[in-house]
Amino acid sequence: MISVVGVSHRTTPIEVREQLALDDSERTALLRGLVETSAVAEALVVSTCNRVEVVVAPAPGSDERMAADVVMQRLLSRVPVAMPHLYCHLGPRAVHHLFRVTASLDSLVVGEPQILGQVKDAFERARLAGTLGASLHRVVTRAIRTAKRVRSETPIGTGQVSVPTVAVDLTRQIFDRLEGRTVMLIGSGEMAEQVARLLRGAGCRIIVLGRTESKVRELAAAVGGDARGLHELRAGLVDADVVVSSTSAPGYVIDRDAVAGARRSRRGRSLFFIDLAVPRDIDPGVESLDGVFLYNIDDLSNVVADALSGRRRGAELAERIVAAEAASFDRWREGAQVTPVVVALRVRFEAVLQREIDKSLKGRLRHLGPADRDALQMMLGAAVNKLLHAPTRRLRQGAMERDWEGPPLEQLIEAVEDLFSLRGDAALEELQSGPHSAPPLDAAGLDEGATGPGEAEEPTAMRDVAEPAPRTGASR
Amino acid sequence: MERLATVAFYLGLISYTIAGTLFFVDLARREGLAGARRWAPKILGVGAAMHATHVVAASLLSRICPVESLHFALSLASLVATVVFLALRRRRRLDAVGAFVAPLSVLFLVGAQFVGTPAVQPDNVSRTLLALHVTANLLGFGLFLLAGGAGAFYLVSERRLKQKRSGGKSRLPPLDALDLTEHRLLLAGFPLLTFGAISGAVFVAQLGAIEEGTLLRAALSYVTWTLLAVMLTLRVVAGWSGRRAAYGALAGAACLLLVILLYALRSGVST
Repeated sequence: MISVVGVSHRTTPIEVREQLALDDSERTALLRGLVETSAVAEALVVSTCNRVEVVVAPAPGSDERMAADVVMQRLLSRVPVAMPHLYCHLGPRAVHHLFRVTASLDSLVVGEPQILGQVKDAFERARLAGTLGASLHRVVTRAIRTAKRVRSETPIGTGQVSVPTVAVDLTRQIFDRLEGRTVMLIGSGEMAEQVARLLRGAGCRIIVLGRTESKVRELAAAVGGDARGLHELRAGLVDADVVVSSTSAPGYVIDRDAVAGARRSRRGRSLFFIDLAVPRDIDPGVESLDGVFLYNIDDLSNVVADALSGRRRGAELAERIVAAEAASFDRWREGAQVTPVVVALRVRFEAVLQREIDKSLKGRLRHLGPADRDALQMMLGAAVNKLLHAPTRRLRQGAMERDWEGPPLEQLIEAVEDLFSLRGDAALEELQSGPHSAPPLDAAGLDEGATGPGEAEEPTAMRDVAEPAPRTGASR
Repeated sequence: MERLATVAFYLGLISYTIAGTLFFVDLARREGLAGARRWAPKILGVGAAMHATHVVAASLLSRICPVESLHFALSLASLVATVVFLALRRRRRLDAVGAFVAPLSVLFLVGAQFVGTPAVQPDNVSRTLLALHVTANLLGFGLFLLAGGAGAFYLVSERRLKQKRSGGKSRLPPLDALDLTEHRLLLAGFPLLTFGAISGAVFVAQLGAIEEGTLLRAALSYVTWTLLAVMLTLRVVAGWSGRRAAYGALAGAACLLLVILLYALRSGVST
């Protein structure tokens, strides 16, 4: 099972969130540091403008609480003031929380589409860092599928209200006509790029500023703007009507003095700052200047959240879907505990019967032709299915039924392993250890648009329990 | 003729009231009201037409040239503001200002009925110059009133944006449209105000004896003129615009309103 520890816009002000925000190298270091401890086996970090959350799976011999404690210690060692803001979800609650986050139900702007991409990105980063194993792979892929189902089955994502569109609407509240206005884009980022594209579409001239020339050129080409070096920032502040900033700089990129200085040359023209960065790029002090307007990510998100009150009905439906999916995953996870035993039992039965049949086919039954041999092989499969039907059903009941009154599941599994000498079975051990390295999302069929709600597949292990694969004589 | 003047007055009053209500409803509702937005300017236009009809019919009926009476001048000033607004809204997103213009027109249309009739005009005052003086003043006053309204809207909209209370789809006009409109109205009204002030000084000189009230009105007019002149100069020289310009436009409109009030409070009206 998993634990989730983190902060979000619901619990934590931007001043603390920006201290906890992690860049790529910090994220990788945190992930690797966590799995090096004895309590954590797998780890994944979701770091966005609105949240920093660490999802971990405990190592053997540890549990969710111990794994969560390790994460808390790591986060608090970086930012001690985050203590009162940190939350921690364990077990089924952690799964439910992760599903809600991925489905954009916990977002400031409920239904916004970016979070799904950000969770996928977190998945890929963890995979590349080697901190993703079977547990997190299963839960995250299921969370992503649930999010896709929510988006396709509810109106949660309908309408054009998003942070970029609101940013453009606010620009129109300051400037009557956008044609010919100059927009200065500093840094990159998906949202900043979207804002720039929308403003470009409205007739604005885009100037892209950044440190890395190649990246700036690439971004300028993508948004149809002119590439400039960051040294032209002060001159840009004189010319620009709108400044969109989204850098990963740790401090302010534009301070109050720079804007105050530029205002003298601007001759009273309004200046609108759209600060999409966390940590913030624009000194909040600029707002006290006459004719200067500043909206940071929280301000924009609040406007969007306000505008999206009409999506509440969709959100209620989405909550029900998420709750059902999380419960279903929980049941599946519990059922999956018996999968290795059931599979090992099947392998053992088939192997014993196959050996006996092989002996007979070489002895007294050697006169049988191919058709009779195939029939015998089918009979073997049917016999195994019938023999294992009752124990498999009983094991699954023990795992999945809440009102199960029989012996505890652990005792049942132990009994089966003892009775049929399954301990030390190579097949069983392989199944219990799970995959050593998680496949990427595209391999799991979860890349962009790959899986619709109706196409969602059960994990392979689940299929094994539910429906044994047909055997043919030719395969043996 | 009397019937026409009365019917036009009431129709104008009703149209202004309906238009004002529609403008206000569109402004107040979160998502606006498309029907109100579509019909309000049209109904305001009808109101302005009825208003003009009333002024013409009433002046013909009373055999008084509209520009020789404060009664009509006040009424015409609000009509000027309304017509200029209707013309400007075709070029800029200024519809919300209608929520200020329509009630203002109601106020002036009704208020003008309570202003006294003109007193006998002194012989030593040129009728042509008097007509030009009143025309310039009423036009200027209409423009300044509208500029003051734009300034007030600017301050409200700017405050909402600064306090992050402005929704994504606000019904308020864009800030720069308000600022530019206010500036252009002041620019257009300033020469008229200057002419009004100079011609007023000429009348005072021609009349010889100066009453206390006349002196106060003249002083207030010069203060207003100076205030607007300084504001327009600072805009050109030091880039004063936005909030400061809006405060200036509001102050100028308030001073002019005070001057008009002082005129209206006189028992007889000579100009």
